[in-house]
Amino acid sequence: MANTKYKFNQESLSFDKIRLGFRAVLLRFLAYFIGSLILAVIYGFIFAIFIDSPKEKALKREVAQLSLQYNLIHKEMENLEKVIDHLQETDDNLYRTIFEAEPVPTTLRQSGTGGVNRYKELEGFDNSSIVIGTVKKLDKIRKQVYVQSKSFDDLITLANEKEEMLRCIPAIMPISNKDLKRTASGFGLRIHPIYKIIKFHAGMDFTAPSGTDVYATGNGVINAVLSSRRGLGNHIILDHGFGYSSVYAHLDGFNVRKGQKVQRGDVIGFVGNTGMSVAPHLHYEIKLNGENVDPINYYFNDLTAEEYERMIEIASKTGQSFD
Amino acid sequence: MRDRKYFFDLNDLQFKQIYLTWKQKALRLLLWFAASLAVAFLYITVFKNIFGSPKEKMMEQEIEKIKLQYSLLGRQLDNSIEVLGELKLSDDSRYRPILDMDSIPESIRNPGFGGVDRYRDLYGYVNSDLMILFRSRIDEIRNRTSVQTESFKSIEDKKGEWKREMEYLPYISPVNPIYRLGDGLKFREVHPVLGTSQWHHGQDFNTPYGTEVFATGAGKVIKAGWNSGGFGNYVVIDHGYGFQTTYGHLSSIKVSKGMNVIRGDMIGLSGSSGTSSGPHLHYQIDLYGQHKNPLYYFNNDLTEEEYFKMIQTLSSKLKFR
Repeated sequence: MANTKYKFNQESLSFDKIRLGFRAVLLRFLAYFIGSLILAVIYGFIFAIFIDSPKEKALKREVAQLSLQYNLIHKEMENLEKVIDHLQETDDNLYRTIFEAEPVPTTLRQSGTGGVNRYKELEGFDNSSIVIGTVKKLDKIRKQVYVQSKSFDDLITLANEKEEMLRCIPAIMPISNKDLKRTASGFGLRIHPIYKIIKFHAGMDFTAPSGTDVYATGNGVINAVLSSRRGLGNHIILDHGFGYSSVYAHLDGFNVRKGQKVQRGDVIGFVGNTGMSVAPHLHYEIKLNGENVDPINYYFNDLTAEEYERMIEIASKTGQSFD
Repeated sequence: MRDRKYFFDLNDLQFKQIYLTWKQKALRLLLWFAASLAVAFLYITVFKNIFGSPKEKMMEQEIEKIKLQYSLLGRQLDNSIEVLGELKLSDDSRYRPILDMDSIPESIRNPGFGGVDRYRDLYGYVNSDLMILFRSRIDEIRNRTSVQTESFKSIEDKKGEWKREMEYLPYISPVNPIYRLGDGLKFREVHPVLGTSQWHHGQDFNTPYGTEVFATGAGKVIKAGWNSGGFGNYVVIDHGYGFQTTYGHLSSIKVSKGMNVIRGDMIGLSGSSGTSSGPHLHYQIDLYGQHKNPLYYFNNDLTEEEYFKMIQTLSSKLKFR
């Protein structure tokens, strides 16, 4: 063996072969291992400081871009929110000046109804899940009660054999008004837009562009189709029987003739600005035995309990009418 | 010294100390270094595979944190979009119909920015979709906001115009509504004084001497005095928008030419001056020189009490101007 190594033994003055015992070999191996580990850590650090792994590079880029975009969007959002707040104020001011009434807070600005999370206000407290559960249950019960009472109502009317009456008396809104935003002015004392005095407003006003469809609110017979340039302007009187009749005023045009039988939901005319009216709108009246009654109580096919409350809130604000 | 190593040279049969040349030493060092690198690489790879690099972990955490912030921001965006939706509804369903303005088409409110790829700089990231989503939403919000701002501005302008028009147009009865209406706008076979047949261009009110006559809308007095054409003492108010109103046969005039009046201002007292067979007020509305039926411009829906309350309310507004 050419590679056999020798050590000079000073005591015996001879060359001894270098032989490593098992322990020495193990020790050496351990030393190498530890040394290599330490080296690996050192290399790793140096490597990490100066060079990123491709994955790290990608992550770094990702983080940088994500936070850059976040900051941009966040900043812009804050600016836009200010603008939007201002828009909301403008909206309220427009409402105030056009309708001469205090605006009803929208579903968004008030908590509780309609929003995404009705139970938000209850979150974040201890036992909030129990509270939310209870409130949800209560809501459910309330709904059931409402449904139940409706079905009782139905039963009673059925018992009284009044289906026919149910079909005839006004029960929907005269124009499509899903979001209730078209509710302009309610029944009762209102500021007259020209006279500036408080006058009795015998019907309800709905804002809608000229030409919007006007629906018959219950089955009945067209009692009169009147063209006029005064007062109610072009208007339709619909006789529902059972003492009920309804009036649709300031129409732009008609879709029915006198004596025609109509069903609830039929298009009978189109919104306009005829007669004494300061803006395109529909003026809607319901008469019971010749007396004007508040139409708000005759939308029960259209409105949920909640919407009904909201409708009352909008309509009851003393604002101005449009005729 | 102590560790001097020797080897047995088989050529000359003696022990020789092992010397390493400089080159050999360098080579050996290099070999060691390479080996250590290789081993280190092995260790690091194994370590990373088992535990992941701490740096990566940190960054991944950071990304999670940012994503959380994004989702919070997302709520803000949602809220803004909902508010803008509400505003749009107000705009479309309330103000524009009332002011007789067409609503803004959805294509202008939110033009989908097709064609040019606006978000190219966001491609190639793990979270590209997230960033593109947020960018497009903020773009939508920005756009909707500016459209809404513009829209409200034009509504504001139109509203001012509408309110002004309501103040200026001749929309009330010029006298207490208890007075019966006389002849209206029609062809009269026999003129009560002249006896000839001719058009009657206005509306008569059977008012006794000295009845207060009020301006039916705001405007400027363009004539106040004697009319030799038959109106006698008369007042003409120019309301703008092409409207002029004429009040004839007055016994007394309370305004003078050039004066600005508002609705409800008393402009004179009725009488029977000019070509008149008895005390009455002649009230005439002209739109761009064409005679209009005054009955189309006011409702007979006020009681005497309400009428004077209105006059009081309208003229008290003057004091606050």
